[in-house]
Amino acid sequence: MTDADATTATTVGTPEPLPIDDAADVCADVTANVGRVIVGNGETVEHVVTTILARGHVLLEDVPGVGKTMLARSIARSIDCEFSRVQFTPDLLPSDVTGVNVFNRKSREFEFQPGPVFGNVVLADEINRAPPKSQAAMLEAMEEGQVTVDGESRPLPEPFAVIATQNAVEPERTYELPFAEVDRFTKKLELGYPEPEEESEVLARTVGHHPIERLEAVTDLETIVRARETVAAVTVNEPVREYATRLSNYTREHARIGASPRGTIALLRAAAARATLDGREYVVPDDVRREAPVVLAHRVRTDDHRHGGADVVADALDHVPVE
Amino acid sequence: MSLAGDRGTDAGAGGRLRAVGRRVGSAQLPAEPFRLGALAGVLALTGAYVSVLYGVVAVVGGRGALLALVAVSLLSATVFARAIAPRTATALAAAVAAVGFAHYLASAGTGVGAAVATADELLADSVALAMGLPVLRMIDAGTWALGFAPAPAFLSWYLAVRRRYALSVLPAGGALFFLVLTGDAGIPITLAGVGGAVGAVGLGELERREGTVGQLDALTVLFSVALVLSMTVTLVPAGAASPTFLVEGDEGSLESTLDTAPERSGITGSVDLSPEVRFTVTSEERSYWRTGVYDRFTGDEWIRTGDDRPYEGGIEPPPGEYDRVAQTVRMAGGAGVMPAAAQPIAVEGEATENTLVTSHGGITPEEPMIENDTYNVESAVVDPSGGALREAGTEYPEDVERRHLQTPESLSTEFEAYTAEVTADAENPYETAEAIERYLRTSKSYSLEVDRPSGNVAEEFLLEMDEGYCVYFATTMVQMLRAEDVPARYAVGYTSGQEVDDGEYVVRGLDAHAWVEVYFPGHGWVEFEPTPGDRDDVHAERLEEARDDGQEDVDVAGSEEVPIEEGSEPENETDEELTETEPPAEETPLENETGEAGEIDPEEEIAPGPNGAPTEGVEEGLADRLTAEAAILALAIVVGAVAGARHGGVVDRAGRARTLRWQRSTGEPARDVERAYRRLELLLETDVRGRARSESVRAYLSSPAVESVGDDRIDRLGALYERAIHGDGVEPAEAVEAIELVDELVAERTRIVGRLRR
Repeated sequence: MTDADATTATTVGTPEPLPIDDAADVCADVTANVGRVIVGNGETVEHVVTTILARGHVLLEDVPGVGKTMLARSIARSIDCEFSRVQFTPDLLPSDVTGVNVFNRKSREFEFQPGPVFGNVVLADEINRAPPKSQAAMLEAMEEGQVTVDGESRPLPEPFAVIATQNAVEPERTYELPFAEVDRFTKKLELGYPEPEEESEVLARTVGHHPIERLEAVTDLETIVRARETVAAVTVNEPVREYATRLSNYTREHARIGASPRGTIALLRAAAARATLDGREYVVPDDVRREAPVVLAHRVRTDDHRHGGADVVADALDHVPVE
Repeated sequence: MSLAGDRGTDAGAGGRLRAVGRRVGSAQLPAEPFRLGALAGVLALTGAYVSVLYGVVAVVGGRGALLALVAVSLLSATVFARAIAPRTATALAAAVAAVGFAHYLASAGTGVGAAVATADELLADSVALAMGLPVLRMIDAGTWALGFAPAPAFLSWYLAVRRRYALSVLPAGGALFFLVLTGDAGIPITLAGVGGAVGAVGLGELERREGTVGQLDALTVLFSVALVLSMTVTLVPAGAASPTFLVEGDEGSLESTLDTAPERSGITGSVDLSPEVRFTVTSEERSYWRTGVYDRFTGDEWIRTGDDRPYEGGIEPPPGEYDRVAQTVRMAGGAGVMPAAAQPIAVEGEATENTLVTSHGGITPEEPMIENDTYNVESAVVDPSGGALREAGTEYPEDVERRHLQTPESLSTEFEAYTAEVTADAENPYETAEAIERYLRTSKSYSLEVDRPSGNVAEEFLLEMDEGYCVYFATTMVQMLRAEDVPARYAVGYTSGQEVDDGEYVVRGLDAHAWVEVYFPGHGWVEFEPTPGDRDDVHAERLEEARDDGQEDVDVAGSEEVPIEEGSEPENETDEELTETEPPAEETPLENETGEAGEIDPEEEIAPGPNGAPTEGVEEGLADRLTAEAAILALAIVVGAVAGARHGGVVDRAGRARTLRWQRSTGEPARDVERAYRRLELLLETDVRGRARSESVRAYLSSPAVESVGDDRIDRLGALYERAIHGDGVEPAEAVEAIELVDELVAERTRIVGRLRR
């Protein structure tokens, strides 16, 4: 639901899963590679990588200029894949995202011109600056793994992962994402300002040639697809499922809107990816605990500004018993 | 109760309803059972002290009035709880108490004004009561009880309804405490009261703080402690519940039954006869040697009302003619009584210092007599003729009527009807007494082997029993006479004993006896003897038996050769028919002819037991009660210990210790590993710290505290556990490994037990 569905993938047949250790290596390689460009924020990079392996999409929220876009680009470049970027603006039309049918005078037929959404890694920059209709086009793609243009559905490539960014400032000039749509992002991450020494490192790297220009891919599409299969095969036993359910329940009991079942599913998928990162074939509660803040917080709404969704999730982790 | 309770709050009905609504809404239901419990506790406490007073009025009359007063108090407290402020209520209660007290004073013949004037005496009386004087010894005990009852009940219930539980315990608790001090509240009643008080305060607190049922175990501990304390700590040395006997080492004997305490005379089942010599009397006149007189009958014991006063040279003699009989009494052992012929009028010699005069004109020693104490006493022996007594009339002095017509309120009409039948032909009090005496002597036989009936002894003896001994005969006769409105009282002491020489009598324990005194206007108290003559045979046999056994102390010099002939007839048998035992000589007034014997006789009771306490000293009854009390005590201790253990987590700890050290393979590897890990956690919990509920195993094992243990086996166990629970499972060999690892760790880290195991 949340995530692109494997059945709609362009690849026919189920690919062979990578051995768990290889999958872990892939993650480590990509993370390390991105680390050449992105200073600090190793944790965040890891989260993005696991989201991709968990067939999810990620929303980066922060003030402008902290490297959201750079992060997305670095990840895309680390994987040898189709990368596309959509800069959301107030006048962006849905067709600017999905693509249009264009009349070919030679063949006298309409030809489909794919939009930027047809990529393996799609950067949806400043998604909250576009009007809801254009946002919806992107979100439909995220949800369905396909786009519909002029009544014709076209499947998106596999893998398909959206890295969206949104600005936390200027709320009056943006269209806040509807709650139901925020729910479709597996994780919502914040980068935060770099530490002083990190910032100085950033300066050292970027003055002159920007390192991203020299960034090379460390893995390919096929490997990523197979690693996704590995994640899907990770064991999630009853105690962990129960723990995740209890966490969600806790948020439902202690907030105006708690985590949805979709949130619980996302949580377990993210936890499975986290286990893979660890080279483990089964999920332990610690994986769930690690992922819960980023997976659940944006799905929980409270009436109290001083005690937001993140606080409720933290409470849940503090109070829900674990095996 | 609960409805009443709900209505009565400061907030008034409306506020209360809203409060309930809120409470239900927020699912805080448990408070309501706590409130009911607390109210029940207050009721139990109130019931405890009221039941003591009920016991009093059941003897002297006024049960209906008492219950009505208490009911009205509770009812008005319920109503007033929402109407008036606590200060007003307290004032009201004080007023009620004052009115009750004034009423008591008025009916006791003391004017209220006089009471105010003699406030210090009142205070002294109150102190005397609090020092262990039973309420029943008060002449106007019934009025006192009725005056005492309502105020504490009102105030307690008022406060309880207003949810002031701790305060509410004070009035009723104070009342009960006072009755404990007087010795009227027995252990079961006190326990019930204490339990009620603890329950009221504890449950009230739980209600107030919206406590949980889990906190009840703490309350249970309190309960048990209170129970055990109240059973083991004896506040009043002479408490009503610790029977002792006035004759040393003679529990279960007839004497000890007669003289259970200075102011009481008990009634028991089978008794023994002690052949030991108690005292010798030198007297020209054969007489019963009286030691005590009792006027109030509770149904199972006799109580002497009124206070003793110091002997101050002379006791008022009987109103009519009498013969003076001088006696010299020499004690053969310690005793708390001064035997003397009725009615002593003068005591001479050193003994006067030590002599108290009872409210009936008897004498009793202030300090127990000891061996070889000798005293001279002069008695006024009344011996009018039957004819004179027949014409004595019924113009009884008010004081005599007030105190000597009492029967327990529960006396059945059957008893009265039966008595009326027995005395149908009697035309005057004397004939009534004669008829009853004759009836008892002829229709019942004498035996020391009887089962003590439950309930009213007089009634049971008259209607159900065929045989008994003097206590039964005398008690029954007094009650029958009173049922016929003839003032009578119960006298105890000794028969004249064995006359070993001319005018010299040896009196033994087996001579203990009880008889009847009936009042005749113009003459005074006249003795009657309802006990059949075969008593003498029984008693003589006992003496022979003792002699045959070679028992010492049964004879004084020369008494062995003299034939035993005891006269169990009181001297006044004067005229008629009373066949069997011939009263030896009538009273020849001995005046002071025995010059040397300047002193006079002792009266009642023999040596007070170690702590001189009273009541129904029946040996088997005692045994029963002791076991029942022991059972309650043991139960309280066990319950308290269990609750305390639970509260203190001992049970948990014991279970944990067992779990820690003992694990057997279940055949399921995953389960074995899981249990092995649990043991590890228990071990670490004691050694390092426990795992928080929301802490994952991995986080726990890698926390600094656990890491500091630095044992690879712990990591290995953690990994096995994780795989067993969250992964694809573990191999049987790994399960065995896990158990062994934990066994090792436990053995190493729990030193003492570990060593033993190795």
